[in-house]
Amino acid sequence: MTTAELGFESFGRWPVEDREEALVERLQRADPAAVGEAYDAHHAAVRAFAKRLVGDPTAAEDLVHEVFVTLPQAMRRYRGDATLRTFLISIAVNHARHHVRGAARRRAAMDRLATEPSHALTGDPETDARRRELVSALAHALDQLPLDQRVAFVLCEVEERTSREVSEIVGVPEATVRTRLFHAKRKLRATLEQAGIA
Amino acid sequence: MTDDILSQASRALRETTQDDDAAARFTRARVMASLHQARRRRGIRFAILIPLAAILVGSTAWGAASGRFPAVFRAVVGLVVGQPKLEPAEPPPAAPTRRAAGAPTKAPTALPIDSAEDEVEIEPGDTDGEPTVEEQAPAPPPAPSARRAPIDPEGSVAFAAYRRAHEAHFSAQDPAAALAAWNEYLRLAPGGRFALEASYNRALCLVRLGRGTEALAALGPFAEGRFGGYRQREARELMAALGGTAPPKPTQVEAAPAPAPGSTGTPASEGD
Repeated sequence: MTTAELGFESFGRWPVEDREEALVERLQRADPAAVGEAYDAHHAAVRAFAKRLVGDPTAAEDLVHEVFVTLPQAMRRYRGDATLRTFLISIAVNHARHHVRGAARRRAAMDRLATEPSHALTGDPETDARRRELVSALAHALDQLPLDQRVAFVLCEVEERTSREVSEIVGVPEATVRTRLFHAKRKLRATLEQAGIA
Repeated sequence: MTDDILSQASRALRETTQDDDAAARFTRARVMASLHQARRRRGIRFAILIPLAAILVGSTAWGAASGRFPAVFRAVVGLVVGQPKLEPAEPPPAAPTRRAAGAPTKAPTALPIDSAEDEVEIEPGDTDGEPTVEEQAPAPPPAPSARRAPIDPEGSVAFAAYRRAHEAHFSAQDPAAALAAWNEYLRLAPGGRFALEASYNRALCLVRLGRGTEALAALGPFAEGRFGGYRQREARELMAALGGTAPPKPTQVEAAPAPAPGSTGTPASEGD
């Protein structure tokens, strides 16, 4: 996780909690400027999750857009149990379904055209090639999973969140999160084996 | 083996997700534009919906005040509010009677007498507390909560009186008999569906019987527009023809107050 994702990106005179509380109040009043501030503070985390979940930069941007546009309405059910960032991720989860489908369709089309979207490069061609292969294989394998298991895997394994955090985000008991993760990993292993990734 | 691969793939996915500043800025602009658009749409929606709602409320209030609620609307309101419906108790009686008698639908005077369809639409119980009972009628004006409840529990007695009045008025063209029957109907159903029409017809009978002062008093509320535009023009014309250019005050005509149809200066024995 980057420092931005962990919430250390913004500095000011007030403690983070106080600023977030004020921001939440303004969001609950549907203040558009507050949405802009929330975006500035949390877009990196939401975008990172969106990209990891849908595996497609364009679909991820659409998901980020949708999360922040629907934020004023969603704030009506925000009770302050979780942080604003966690709440934003949970909105992303709720809106992810059709973006995931769209991304999977786009990936399938890319396969047919034998092109792959480029990923970050390290400078070492061999490492980059291996990483691209893994990311591509994992993205395809994730497309085979039900959304619940996919979300659980991305949040737990890729974003390295605790099962408690994930249970807050998706709104299910921790045991359910662990069960979903277990099944997701089993299916992903099988899919990667079938794809000959070793 | 594969568990290790899965971990490697997860790490690769984690590390390849990098921030794209241009995309982030573009998405931010999109978000703000979408919010602005949504706000504008909401504003436009309010600008359209509020006047529409005002028109609806205004017209409903006017309909309730003037007794021009359509029967269907009244039935729906009755269902929603849970009050008993009047329609079964007092079905529209005029059309079959007329057809059976084959009589002309015009009154002897030059005044247009409306068809049964007009009568069905009348809701005199909605005249904002205007008493519709005759002076001699024992029943008090209906309470607002019981406006649509039938005064006559059977309904059939008032309905029979209405039929008699209708026949005497339109078929037999006997104003004395019609007056008595209208009085009877108004006594039995002061808040009934046809009370307003009955009051106006009663005034016509008084005109035909040459009882000018009483007729002026009976026509006064109509001419003043107490029932909206209902028969207002005709009442004014009639009053002008009778020599009373302005609606007479009750004290000028007779001692008793005459604020509503059916209660405008008709003695108990009148027409009976």
